[in-house]
Amino acid sequence: MTTTSFTATIQDRVSRIDTMPSIPAVFLPLLELLNLPPENVKLDEIVKLVSYDNTIAAQCLRVASSPLFGLAKTPDSIKGAVLSLGLRRVQTILLTCCLGSAFPAKNWPLEPTTFWRHSLGCAMVCRKFSEKLAAPDGDKAYMAGLLHDIGFPVNCMVFPKEFAIATANATQAQIPLDEAERATMGFSHCETGRALAEKWHLADDLIQVIAFHHTPELSESAKPLVAMVHLSDLLCRMRNMGYGYYESRKVDLANNPAWAILLQEYRALEGIDLVRFTFELDEAAGEVFNLVSTIFGSSAAAGKS
Amino acid sequence: MTTAPQPAPTKTGPVDPVYRQIRDLVYKVSGIYKADEKLYLLADGCVRRMKVMGAKSSRDYWDYLTANPSRDGELRQLLNEITIGETCLFRSQPQLDAVRKVILPEIVVEKTKQITKRLRIWSAGCSTGEESYTLAMNMMEESERLLKGWTVEILATDLNDRSVETAKAGIYGDYALRNTTDYYKRKYFTTLDEKKLQVRPEVKKLITFSRLNLQDDSKILFMKGMDLIFCCNVLIYFDGSSKAKVVNHYYTNLNFGGYFFLGTSESLLNLNDKFHLVHFPGSIAYWKPSLSSGKL
Repeated sequence: MTTTSFTATIQDRVSRIDTMPSIPAVFLPLLELLNLPPENVKLDEIVKLVSYDNTIAAQCLRVASSPLFGLAKTPDSIKGAVLSLGLRRVQTILLTCCLGSAFPAKNWPLEPTTFWRHSLGCAMVCRKFSEKLAAPDGDKAYMAGLLHDIGFPVNCMVFPKEFAIATANATQAQIPLDEAERATMGFSHCETGRALAEKWHLADDLIQVIAFHHTPELSESAKPLVAMVHLSDLLCRMRNMGYGYYESRKVDLANNPAWAILLQEYRALEGIDLVRFTFELDEAAGEVFNLVSTIFGSSAAAGKS
Repeated sequence: MTTAPQPAPTKTGPVDPVYRQIRDLVYKVSGIYKADEKLYLLADGCVRRMKVMGAKSSRDYWDYLTANPSRDGELRQLLNEITIGETCLFRSQPQLDAVRKVILPEIVVEKTKQITKRLRIWSAGCSTGEESYTLAMNMMEESERLLKGWTVEILATDLNDRSVETAKAGIYGDYALRNTTDYYKRKYFTTLDEKKLQVRPEVKKLITFSRLNLQDDSKILFMKGMDLIFCCNVLIYFDGSSKAKVVNHYYTNLNFGGYFFLGTSESLLNLNDKFHLVHFPGSIAYWKPSLSSGKL
């Protein structure tokens, strides 16, 4: 099959995701609000949006009290959470909760809990990275980490047989999943994720992350963000938040091309103590696992059926 | 008012923020990091030291560690407390996986053109031999696969004569063997009595135990040509400049393409900028780039 016909197949099959039932109504409007400058977003708009979905509102309040998000007590309302954590942070929590029900996790070849642990772990690492680099938008980095692999659930839904073979090959050969995808399917979750991201009209930088997080040097308009997600993704996979199998590989982060890209933008990267960063990541992993149970528990459990 | 030292936090209880401060101080000085879920071990050690020193609270003890004239000595005592008794066979499976699944295949390819197929490993600060025997058994497991036709030499050294003698005997009880599977126990040990197992002679044959002071520059020169060096929780016993010197020796003594492992929660900090920090699943190591990697 040629590249063009592959792309046509991907786009054709991804267009059918519309028929999938469970994308929460508040997800896309919330994402759109995230693209606006914070001063243009009204608190009441968010509260109104969330009031349509009690489950997500309740989840959001539970998640807001996690040590990863920084509130000591569970806030009693979305408004209360926003006053304590800020609008952008609450938006990212809400979006995380929405994503849990966006993909029906039935018969995935990938263990859904493992997938969400990786996604949420990567989101958390991206935000920590941003903090250490004093990057301007930690919440955007968080969303980029959370969404970078949305091509995997797309593959589960749209190319279940092919993706099952790729997953089995990756596990058996202990190689990165994207390599196994390309070898067996001719394309990867980067292409399918991009098709979905475009269909959802995500912001361009998020599309770039989804499409190029394995090849950051190819990104055209969001290189530093894509590079940050690339490194965070690798770190997660090396620290027990990967795809649930052993990847026989050595990762030299400071000599990775993404490191050089990020260094051009943020000189503070030179001063990062990567070992300590790694230990801190291990520390946060337990909390990521707890959050995955809170947010994705029901959809992840459905995948085991 | 005199009060007894605060009890150490439990595994699940709230953490006294002073212990986090002490954790950061310990990391800055020694490179040992106690993650939150293991902070209770650090706190236990602090409480033991607080009793000895008569410190009334964790805040008091913080002052001992930072403002007291004998603070360096006290910090050393605390480091002893928090690293003691950690050793056992098969202590870090992720490190062993990295060696067998990633590093050995790489070294075998790298050395494929050499006439003598020889792998040299140094267990520096081997204490009572648990790490050395673990490495030996794992290399023996590869002797019919990756290391077929290879000679494996493990040099295990420690400053303490008594530790070296205990290591040579290779006799271990339940506690040291808590991570050792029945497969390894049956294959590589003989039963001494109900509670003790002894390492078989064929495992011992791979290892040369000897006393070595890591500060003895002239003797360290003879430890050249290593492919792997393990030095777990040993560097804490050196002060800044001698630590840097020892680490530099390790770098020199490693072959190009060789790896240096520290303890699982230990960092080299900024002691050597020639090593590349590399991640494997669940473990980290320091790599002396191979000549063919183009990364020297």
